[in-house]
Amino acid sequence: MSAADASVLQRPNDRLWRRRAVNRGMEILAWTAAALAVALLGLLVWSVAKRGASALNLDLITKSQATNEFALHPPPQGLANAFIGTFIIVGIATAMALPFGILVAIYVNEFAPKAIKNFLSPSLDILNGIPAIVIGIFVFGLIVVGHGQSGIAGAFALAILMLPLVARATIEVLALVPDSLREASLGLGVPRWRTTIGIVLPQTIGGILTGTVLAVARVAGETAPLLFTTSIVGTAINTNPTQALQSVPVAIFELSESPTPADHSRAWAAALVLLLFILVTSLTARWFATRSRQKIRRASR
Amino acid sequence: MSTLDATGQTTRRPFEGRRVHPGDVILQVLAGGAALGTVILLGLLVYKVVQGARLSLSTFGLGFIGSVGWDPLHNAMGAGSLLFGTAVTAIGALVLATPLALGIALFLTELAPGAIRGPVTALVETLAAIPSVVIGLWGIIVLGPLLRDHVMPALHSTLGFIPLFGTPSPTGTGIFTAIVVLTIMILPIISSISRELFLGVPGELKEAALGLGTTRWEMVRGVMFPYARGGIAAAMILGLGRAVGEAIAVAQVIGAFDNGISWNLFNNGDTLAAKLANEFASSTTNLETASLFYVAVILLVFSLAVNILAQVIVRRVDRAQGRTV
Amino acid sequence: MPRNGKLVRIAVALAAAALLGALAVTSAGAAGKHSTGVVKGAGSSLVAPAVAQWASMYKTDQIQYAAVGSGTGIKQISARLVDFGASDAPLTKSQAAGCKSCAQIPWALTATIPVYHIPGIADHQLKLTGTVLANIYLGNIKKWNDPAIKAINKGLNLPDMNIAVVHRSDGSGDTYVFTNYLSKVNSAWKHQVGCSTTVSWPTGVGGNKNNGVAAIVQSTPGAIGYVSDFYAIQQHIAKARLKNAAGAYVLPKISSIEAAAQLVKSEKIPANNKISLTNPPKSKKYKNAWPMATFTYVLIPESSPKAGQLKAFVTFALSPAAQSAIKKLVFAPMPSNVIKAAKKTLATIHS
Repeated sequence: MSAADASVLQRPNDRLWRRRAVNRGMEILAWTAAALAVALLGLLVWSVAKRGASALNLDLITKSQATNEFALHPPPQGLANAFIGTFIIVGIATAMALPFGILVAIYVNEFAPKAIKNFLSPSLDILNGIPAIVIGIFVFGLIVVGHGQSGIAGAFALAILMLPLVARATIEVLALVPDSLREASLGLGVPRWRTTIGIVLPQTIGGILTGTVLAVARVAGETAPLLFTTSIVGTAINTNPTQALQSVPVAIFELSESPTPADHSRAWAAALVLLLFILVTSLTARWFATRSRQKIRRASR
Repeated sequence: MSTLDATGQTTRRPFEGRRVHPGDVILQVLAGGAALGTVILLGLLVYKVVQGARLSLSTFGLGFIGSVGWDPLHNAMGAGSLLFGTAVTAIGALVLATPLALGIALFLTELAPGAIRGPVTALVETLAAIPSVVIGLWGIIVLGPLLRDHVMPALHSTLGFIPLFGTPSPTGTGIFTAIVVLTIMILPIISSISRELFLGVPGELKEAALGLGTTRWEMVRGVMFPYARGGIAAAMILGLGRAVGEAIAVAQVIGAFDNGISWNLFNNGDTLAAKLANEFASSTTNLETASLFYVAVILLVFSLAVNILAQVIVRRVDRAQGRTV
Repeated sequence: MPRNGKLVRIAVALAAAALLGALAVTSAGAAGKHSTGVVKGAGSSLVAPAVAQWASMYKTDQIQYAAVGSGTGIKQISARLVDFGASDAPLTKSQAAGCKSCAQIPWALTATIPVYHIPGIADHQLKLTGTVLANIYLGNIKKWNDPAIKAINKGLNLPDMNIAVVHRSDGSGDTYVFTNYLSKVNSAWKHQVGCSTTVSWPTGVGGNKNNGVAAIVQSTPGAIGYVSDFYAIQQHIAKARLKNAAGAYVLPKISSIEAAAQLVKSEKIPANNKISLTNPPKSKKYKNAWPMATFTYVLIPESSPKAGQLKAFVTFALSPAAQSAIKKLVFAPMPSNVIKAAKKTLATIHS
């Protein structure tokens, strides 16, 4: 601590009342900040919960969007095409990002010389920090131009978002596995690759799972990467990923700018379902992570 | 970070003279290929975005950055008002979010009774998980009318002499609404990082200060803040990066006005990312498309700078506090 | 084996099952016959109600149309990312070049209209002229009780309220029609802003597509905007009367749109079918003409793998049954010489 800070600790006692008053004032400010934030956040969460719940019905996931939304009396509609589309797109994105991310993590943690590690690690952070809209534009220029929009293009954009998250989580748990385990295995004559795949990796499956689930929770709600890669869609349910698929975040985005209150209701309902999905998966993953990490630490003692 | 890192690289390589198993080679090639692929992906991304902007780069040069107004019909486009909007909304959100976030973090680590601590932490964590499009939906339907009908007129009538709080926007959209939305989005980032930093302050340091007779606030100011200073700076910069890159929620509430610069926060405006979200799909002249790519380049430079700055700070702080990097 | 190994294994099994499920559904879809025969289009939100009506009459699951705005429609068809595009704005020279031999075929006729939301002023009560409208959008007229507006609305209790100008933020055919009209009636507008699908708006807030503008106007007291006729009716937004060149304050109805369409009834239609109906001249024939009527076009590549299906659909759209079916959506039936020109252009499409 600097000298100035030390002086704070040694004020003479006759100023005690003033110091206590300042302390009280700061305490009140902290309470106020917390109260303000809780009010704001609470308002937001309450809005989504209340409006979403009141608009929630089975139609949302069983019926697709109306083929003729301009008809005088459109049939009951839902967002089934969006939910199915998100399921497929996120599924493909995970299938792309998971093996890639694990391999990158294995390289960084098991094989890379220090110089390359010091280059790769920030590179992953940089990739993580690129705005999602720029990634969407990149994938548009790379895949969509010349071939048209597709669920796969959208999935690829989401996979780019997921990659640093999966890789980082895997690196962290790989680093937790003690080297003594690796050395013991190598010492017994097990080849390097078998040590990594058969001994080290199984220890980390919990952590990898956690990281992947957290990445899924993160990208399930992303709109920007899908805006230019899989947004020009029809209203019927489509399961063909080589064509553009509707997705929940894009549907919410479009419905949010509509003048019709019925559209808003469906947007809130979809938002609630999306939020619940993200919350449940995040919480489960985090609970799992704490247990998993404790397990590894216990095993390594 | 594994403590064995300090012992160097020898544990990471096969032992000398060891027969190389073909499986080892395959794994190393695959894993190395994946790592190389990541770097190539990053490079390809930068390349594609810059390449897309070529026409605009050659037509406008660096003047694009300062030029205000977007007129594709007369081929006069510039990112000036977009940069202004991005700067005002991001910095405004940072200014609002940081004290709130620090306040919450302090509250949760020092002041909160156990019963409240759990729910409030959970609330802040929930906030971090809300997708931006949902916050934008809420911004359009709930926040906008609330600000327009109550908050903006109140601010205007009390603080109207400051040019920042000029005539309220009748639509409820605008820079101020975007600032509130962005504040909500970056609050959890700064708050959770700060909270972890505060929890990590060594208990002995805190107890020593308190034992010397300081008040709690003096201990926070004299011990916790200096200790966590670097991390908080990094958290703020990460929050700034998030605010700069947010396209969807901002596009929903900012009003899409990019023909001028105004200091009135209640006016409509536009940001780099929101412009891309609104207009990239429908640009029909080559110059307009290239100019939007130019906007993406600026955004990319911004996010790279923010990222690198945050990493530099974290590394410097780690070194200063004796943690091995 | 660690104590929690079983839990880990269950979790891994569940995750793998979810992943496999996604992939299974995916591959089933990819192999499915769902996609064959579907014709995909994107573009103008103005024509979307007509296309939806036609699709339901034709073969519902064969036509897939996304109302993403004329600008995006032009971009998508130019890059051949869809089978057909739709735009209310005719292609500019450079856009036509960029589209590489796209046929531009008029297939519906309707109008863009100014809409407003003024407390106390009901539907059809507000009167506007082209000059006043231009000055509002230029930012010169800022309040509803401005003398210029009051002068043409004697007897109307206009409030002392700021005008909230609303326009489109995306590339829009309605913007083209609107600015085309303003450019013709107001030279200040023509020089300062011009006419295009995307212009540099001097003032106002931008909404995304017709829906976005309608939403903002509806929720903002004091707002003025422009949407295509159908959306104003569907969303119950107040429509303004506009003064045409003949001096009458007209409403956008089928009859006033048809009156404007007389501009081309006896004219020769250019090869690229570029027709402008805005601001019909001062003449008895156009006494009741709506000044912002517009044709809207379907854009089809002259050489297209789905030529047969596209020709069949557009032929249906041009048929009398289809043209009269969309009358209730405020689309006037197209004049016969326009339909003839459209069919002639359609015949040039080949696979």
